[in-house]
This record gives sequence, C-alpha cells and structure tokens, in this order.
Amino acid sequence: MDRKCKIMLVDDELNFREIMAKFFQRRKIDFETAGSCLEGLDLLGQGCFDVVVMDVSMPGLDGIECMAEMKKVQPDLEVIILTGHASLNVGINGMKKGAFDYCLKPVDFDELLEKIVLAKEKAAAKDY
Amino acid sequence: MHRIFAAIKQTLFPESKSSASPEELRIAFAKRYTHFRSLLTANNNALQAMAELEKVYYSGESYRMAFVRSKISTILINVYKMIRNILAMSDGKYKELEPIFDKISNDISEIVERKRNFQQGPFILELNEVRRKDKDEAGEKMANLGELAALPGIMVPPGFVVTASATRHFLTPDHIAEINRLLQVLDPDNLDDLYSACEKMQNIVMNTPLPPDLEESLHLHVNRLEAGSHPGCKVALRSSAQGEDTAGVSFAGLYSTFLDIDKSMISESYKKVIASKYGPRAIAYRRKRGYRHEDIEMCVGCLLMVDALVSGVVYSRDPEEENSAVMRINATSGIARGVVDGTTVTDLYLVSRTQPFSVVYREMRQGRGTGREHAADTGSLTVKQIQRLAETALQLESHFGQAQDIEWSFDRQGDLYILQSRPIPASRKEPAQNAVEATGPSETAEPPFLTGGICASGGIASGEVFLVDSEEQIQKFPKGGVLVIRHPLPEWAPLLGRAAAVIAENGSEAGHLATVSREFGIPALFSLDGAMKVLVNGQTITINSSARAVYKGRREDLLRLNIVKRDIMAGSPVQRIVTESLQYITPLNLNDPASTHFKSTWCETLHDITRFCHEKSVSEMFNYGKEHHFDKGAAKRLVGDVPLEWWVIDLADGFRPGLDSKDKSVRVEDIVSVPMQAIWHGISAFPWEGPPPISARGFGSIIFQSTMRPDLDPSVASGLTTKNYFLVSQNFCNLSVRLGYHYAMIEAYLSDLLTESYVTFRFKGGAADMRRKAVRARLLADILKRYDFRVELRSDALLARIKKQPVEYLEQRLQILGYLITHARQLDMVMNQPEAVEQYRNKFIQDIDEMLSRKSTLTIEEPSHG
Repeated sequence: MDRKCKIMLVDDELNFREIMAKFFQRRKIDFETAGSCLEGLDLLGQGCFDVVVMDVSMPGLDGIECMAEMKKVQPDLEVIILTGHASLNVGINGMKKGAFDYCLKPVDFDELLEKIVLAKEKAAAKDY
Repeated sequence: MHRIFAAIKQTLFPESKSSASPEELRIAFAKRYTHFRSLLTANNNALQAMAELEKVYYSGESYRMAFVRSKISTILINVYKMIRNILAMSDGKYKELEPIFDKISNDISEIVERKRNFQQGPFILELNEVRRKDKDEAGEKMANLGELAALPGIMVPPGFVVTASATRHFLTPDHIAEINRLLQVLDPDNLDDLYSACEKMQNIVMNTPLPPDLEESLHLHVNRLEAGSHPGCKVALRSSAQGEDTAGVSFAGLYSTFLDIDKSMISESYKKVIASKYGPRAIAYRRKRGYRHEDIEMCVGCLLMVDALVSGVVYSRDPEEENSAVMRINATSGIARGVVDGTTVTDLYLVSRTQPFSVVYREMRQGRGTGREHAADTGSLTVKQIQRLAETALQLESHFGQAQDIEWSFDRQGDLYILQSRPIPASRKEPAQNAVEATGPSETAEPPFLTGGICASGGIASGEVFLVDSEEQIQKFPKGGVLVIRHPLPEWAPLLGRAAAVIAENGSEAGHLATVSREFGIPALFSLDGAMKVLVNGQTITINSSARAVYKGRREDLLRLNIVKRDIMAGSPVQRIVTESLQYITPLNLNDPASTHFKSTWCETLHDITRFCHEKSVSEMFNYGKEHHFDKGAAKRLVGDVPLEWWVIDLADGFRPGLDSKDKSVRVEDIVSVPMQAIWHGISAFPWEGPPPISARGFGSIIFQSTMRPDLDPSVASGLTTKNYFLVSQNFCNLSVRLGYHYAMIEAYLSDLLTESYVTFRFKGGAADMRRKAVRARLLADILKRYDFRVELRSDALLARIKKQPVEYLEQRLQILGYLITHARQLDMVMNQPEAVEQYRNKFIQDIDEMLSRKSTLTIEEPSHG
C-alpha cells in the first residue's frame, strides 16, 4: 500500500454519503465521494483509487453497470457493492461480475471496514 | 492419471522442469494460502448465518423478512466465495460445483422472491354482492360482512368496498418501492426510527393524489348511498385488510376506522385508512407475526352510519374460558367505537348459550347516577335485545363454524345491524415464560452436577450416557442414548436420529452438528468442559441445554417443563418462506468424507457445498508439499548440533528478519516458524537410543552425525532419500521426511482463528514386509489416538489429523509427531516380537508425557538463554 490510493464511495443518497464521510474521517481513511456513476468515473480519471464502495440502486447507471464501466478504465479496481432492498441475486451477480465483496444496508461499519481492509490488501498484492 | 504420471516422472527425473524456483514457490504458496484462508472465513460466515437463521426459525420467536433475506444473502455469497476459492486452489478441479450452486440459489430465490399473481378487478364492489370468495379484493372484514348480509334475518349497513385493485391503482409500484426502501433500512428496535419512518411512509400515501378515475367512482358511489338514505348522511370508512382474522392472527385494532365522515372528506379519509397500514403498531405487529407488508393489501369498506341507540360487542363464547357455556356481551349507548378500543365504560352481560338465553351475570358499569347495581336496572339492553343478540351470535357462529367476535348496533327503530364479525382466536395458554430457563422447579430438587457450555440446540431430554470416541462405537450407540463426544464432528450426524441429546466438550452453535441437532429438535450442549471425564457410560442423566445444566437421573419435574412453545410465526408467509428455503440450505447429506457419495455431484444443499469445499480445501492444502516440487538450490541447510540432514525452505516470514538470504545455511534459533519449532522440539527432546538401523539402508551412517559442514552443496548431496525438507512460514510448516523406505509428512498451520488451524500427519511404508508395516502403522495410530488425533488407517498408510484447537495444544501435538518420526524407526527391528512392541509403546507414551510436562516448565526458563 505504498502508493497513496484512496477509496471512493459512490451513492446517490446524500445522507448516507455524509454518514460514511464521518466514518472514514474518524478512521483516517483517505476517501472521495461521488453522487452518481458519472461523477465516480470523473473522479477515477483524476486520482488514484484502489477500492470503490458502490451502492447498487442508483438512478442512471446502477452499481453493477457502473462497476463494469469502472473496471474498463481500471481492471484491477476492487469494488465492494452495497445494497438495501435488493433481490438475493443482486449480490451473487455482483460477485460474478467481479465485485470483491458485498455489504447489506443498513451497513455494519465494522464489517464494511474489514472488507475495505481486505480489498486494499488484495489490491496491494497485485502491485508486484 | 495425470498426477500419477507426474509423480513417476518426478521420481525418475527429479530435476525435471516442474521444479519451481524459491520465488515461484513462495508466490504459489502465498496465493494458495490466501485462497485457503478466505475459504475458511467464508465457511465460517456461511455456517454462522445458517445457525442464526435456524435459531430464530426454531425459537418460536418472531423474525423479519429483512433478517431472512440478509441471512440468506450472506449464506449465498459466502458459499459462492468458497466455490471461487476452491476452484482457484485446485486449478478448477471442482468446476461442476458452479452449476450446482446456481441451481440451488435459483431455487431459493424463487421461493424468496415469489410474487403474488394479482387479478385486476373493479375498483368498487357493492357490499351486498361481496362474499367470502371475494376476500382477495374486498379484504377479510368486508368479505365476511358481505357474506353474512346474505344470511336470512341479518342486516348490515348499506355500503360498498373500495377494492385491492383500487389500492394498487392508487399506490403504484414506484410508491411501493419507495416504501420498501424505508422498511428495509428501518431499525425495528429503535422507536424514534420506527415513528419517523412510519411518518414518511404515511406521507407518501397522504401526498399522493387519488387517480381521477378512482376518485370519481368513489364519489359516484357515495352519492348513490346518499340517494338511498337522506341528504347529508355520514359514512364510516373501515379498514378491511387481507389476511386479517385468520389462523389465530387477529390484527385486531391495528388499522384505522373513521366514523361519521362527511362526503367532502371521503377521499382524504380513504387515504388515511390506506395509510394506517403503515402505522407503527401495524408494522410492529406484522413483523412479529411474520407478515411482510406486501402480504397484506388494504381494502376499505364504506358503510352508511347507523343511527345507533345502543352498540357493543358480543362474543358467542366467553373468550376467557374454554368451552364456556355462556356468551359475553359488552354494550354502551350510542356508537360502538368505545367498546372496541376500550375507552368507554360498558355494561357486561354473561348470557347462557341456550334458549331462552337468560342472563347469568351482569355488571352495570355505565354511569346512571351513582347506582352501580340497582336490582331492577337492566342496564343499556332490554331482555328482548339480549335474546336477539344471542340468537344472531349463534347463527353467525354456526355459519362460520367457529366462535365469533361480533360488533353490532341497534338503531332507533330497534333494528339490529351487524358491523363486523370475526373468529375469536383459539385460546392457547402459553407456558410460563421462564419455564425452560429455570434450573430447577422445586427448591428441594437436586441441583445440576454439570453446568456451563454453549446451548447449540435448546430443550430438555433424558437418557443413558454413551461416550463415543472412535468409529467402532458408532454401531453400538443405543437408541435414546445421550451422545457424549469430544468434538461435534459432522461424522456423528447419523447418530442424531437415535440420540436423545448430544453433549460435546468442544464446538459451538454454528457447527454442522449443531445444525443437525436443531433440525432433529434434540437438545445439544457444546463446549461443556470435562464432559467426557465426568459422565460415565450407562449413567442416566437429564439435560436441560437451554439452562446449560446436566442433572443426575431421570428428572420428570424438568421433562414436564419441555412444553412445545407456542410459535408466534406459525402459518405466516414469512415462516413458509423460511421453511421452504431451509430445505435447500441446511440439510447435510455429505457426512462422511470416506464415502463414495462424498462428491460434488451429491451436493444437494448449500450446507453440502460448504462441507465439500471445506474438506477439499484442506486436502488441497495438505497436498501442497506433495504436489509442489522445488528446486533444491532454494534450500538452506540446518546447521548446529542436529542429527541427520535437514533442509529448510522459507515460503514467507519463516526466518528471523535480517537473515542473509544468500547464506546457504540456517540455524534452528534463526527460524521463527512456530510449527517448525514445535516439531523440532519433539525431534530433539530425547536422544535416539535404539539399536542402530542396518547401514545398508543408506541412512545409518548419518544418524546422529553432528553436521558442521554448512558448505555442503544441497544439489549434489546424497539425494532425496536421506534428506528431510521443511517448508516454513511463520504459521505454516510442511515437513517431508524420507528415511530409507519410510515416508512421513507433517503439515501444520497454527492460527489464532481456530477454524484455520490444523495439524496433519501422514505415514507410509517402512523397511519391512506388509504385515510388519501394518503393525507399525497400527501402533502409531494407537498412540496418536491417545493424544486426540483423528486417525484413518488403511493397511500401512496412516493419516492423522487435528483441527480447530488452540495454538498451544497444537504445538504439543507437533512435538508428539516430531518425537514419533524420530523414534518410530526403532520399531523396524522388533516388529515381529509382540512383547517388544508393547515395550516400545509404553516407552513412547512415557517419553511423550514427560516431554509435554517438561515443556510447560521450560517455557518459563527459556528467555534467560540467549
């Protein structure tokens, strides 16, 4: 994890972005947030990101589609998908399409943090 | 076949190009190990989620669909991860798991996501046309009311029903999705959260305008009611939800009813009734009883107000007493509202259920001056009214086939109107709440002689103790016995069909055996310290696993407490979903890894897949050292006062940091691999004392030769037959020992996470004929069993394993193995002399016991040597 990469949160819900921002700040995690897939893609072009936490249900491109778009830009990106009232298959589909892991909303912060750490580890392992 | 050829090739041409460089080996190991660890973690998570799902399912307590979904999602995701990892570890060997998993997960999601098929019908039905069969469109209450309106002599107020089709027209899938979203993230235990979410949901309903066609036809029908009555008449808007008043689930008083509504307020009031579906009480109740909000659609009855003189409720049987011979009438002057919601003081009449329906008891509580019980006072009802009510109540009871709870009004003309009739839920006395938790019902009773552990499956049972610590004993296990074991291994599962209860010294509620215990409904108490020591074969005991207590003898007083708890979710849609889904999740068909049925194609449930992946992942790891040949140039020779030739390959962090990587040798104290240190401790604990082996075998010459020649080039040394390789990382060690014809392998991973830890030992062959080899293998097997290894023995091939134990315990097991591989060689000479074999057995055990006790004192002194 030498290169200073940030994590990105993509979620259309402002409330949730604010809660997560506080959560990341408290744990001194470098992050950026995006309110939509397009915003997220813009961010991806500008900075260094290794892990994306992505809400599945968003207006416009949904989280699974957005993950595919981001992976076109950066294939080794690790994506953790978040979902509220999704069908059971959303999680599996996300995993099959290359998501690193899956978290249910409401989010258990410790669980999410653990998954972020593991995703970062995996991203770092690819470096050499 | 491939691998057989590979093995032959390897033997013939040991320097073939399948040899990997140390760097390649290290990366391959690290990769495989990452997959193994993440498979174990996923296995843990999947089993934990299964346990949690089953625990609530069998608890008789309530659980939510959101809980069910999240647990099933967790199980699916983790099982999928296990498959992904086992495929990565085995180079895709078990590919057929994927379609099996897809099929199971599709079956489950069909159950969970099953949608009702709606038939779109008219928005409004005339009440006098509605019958029971229309309950999906009219809701339970209005369907009942329409049905009884058709009975001879029964009158209901004129009116109509705004149907479920109308509700669906009003609240579109978008609204429902928004409401679903709010419900999903709702924390039901947080009241503030509940209230604010309810307000939001109700606002969605209230802020949505009625579709114009619905609004028009609503007004049209109210105008028609008015035309049939008098100008400016008022109506009552009554909730009539689907699924109410059925199967002991009353939904009583959850939804709103609005009385005396003016025509101008009709749309508003209609929306309020619909919104009452999302009131806090309604949401809490539905959750408690296992109904999702989509299981229930709200319909609305619009009835002309009765100009009531006296109103009330009649129970065709007194609900407080089973098989009561009286009915119970509560009455008040005016409209019935206060009777139903309990805010008005009412007169009470208990009336005989037989002609002429005489009043057997009355309580005049309605304020008439201060006189509470004037003898002549008949209260709010006349004798004639009471008789009329009683006759009607019996008529409705016989029509619906069960006792009824009936809301009624007499109007000023003396006509009796029925406003609602619903079944009285059968009275089920619940057992005392704490009955099962109580450790003893009477103070004089003997207290438990064993307490503690983890309740893996709750309940009370009695039977004879039967200790099982080997496979032979499985056959002897008596029906109705209490199974007592050291580890709750899945292998014991077949016994649970015969067992009254299970007690284990280890394990938790998340294991396979815990799952099966719950499935079979037998009490299981795990992690009960010392159970194998304290409990004696044939002893009769009573176990209360919920109270984590074991009693002597058969305790009828406790067994009586074991009443089946009333299941609050019984018959609910959510429970049905879990019942069906669990069929695809928890049953375990793959019990025995040795069975020919232990194949991926026999996996029928997610539990089977986890079991299969776990077993295979362990063997993939075990085979690591066997399948990966390494370039001997990578090895460092172990130097110091060491017997034999030992070579060490560092896979990752196995050497003390700062060690010169170019150095061709390494000292024991520079190795920080915990499992290797433990094995080494066993190897060096006692000097080798037996007769020297025949030197022609090729290794006698180097036994106990202190090798201080670090310059020896490993690739030109005496060849594989005399060399012993350690592959190490800090937590991992794989040791291959080949001495003459012996082949032994020890592999271990020690972790703070119990699920990751294991020690395994394979032993094969030896310089003797087959019969003698088998004798030796059996002797080793006996000794290893004595120290809690699980041992599989086939002819002269021995496989011994230990899993899921604390690090310190496993270190001791590694010491034992280190000792045995060093000293078992002595057996070669004496295998045909039974008394000598016996002598060695005793000596080995004595040495091992001494070594283990010595170790515990040594650890205190060790730091002083540096």
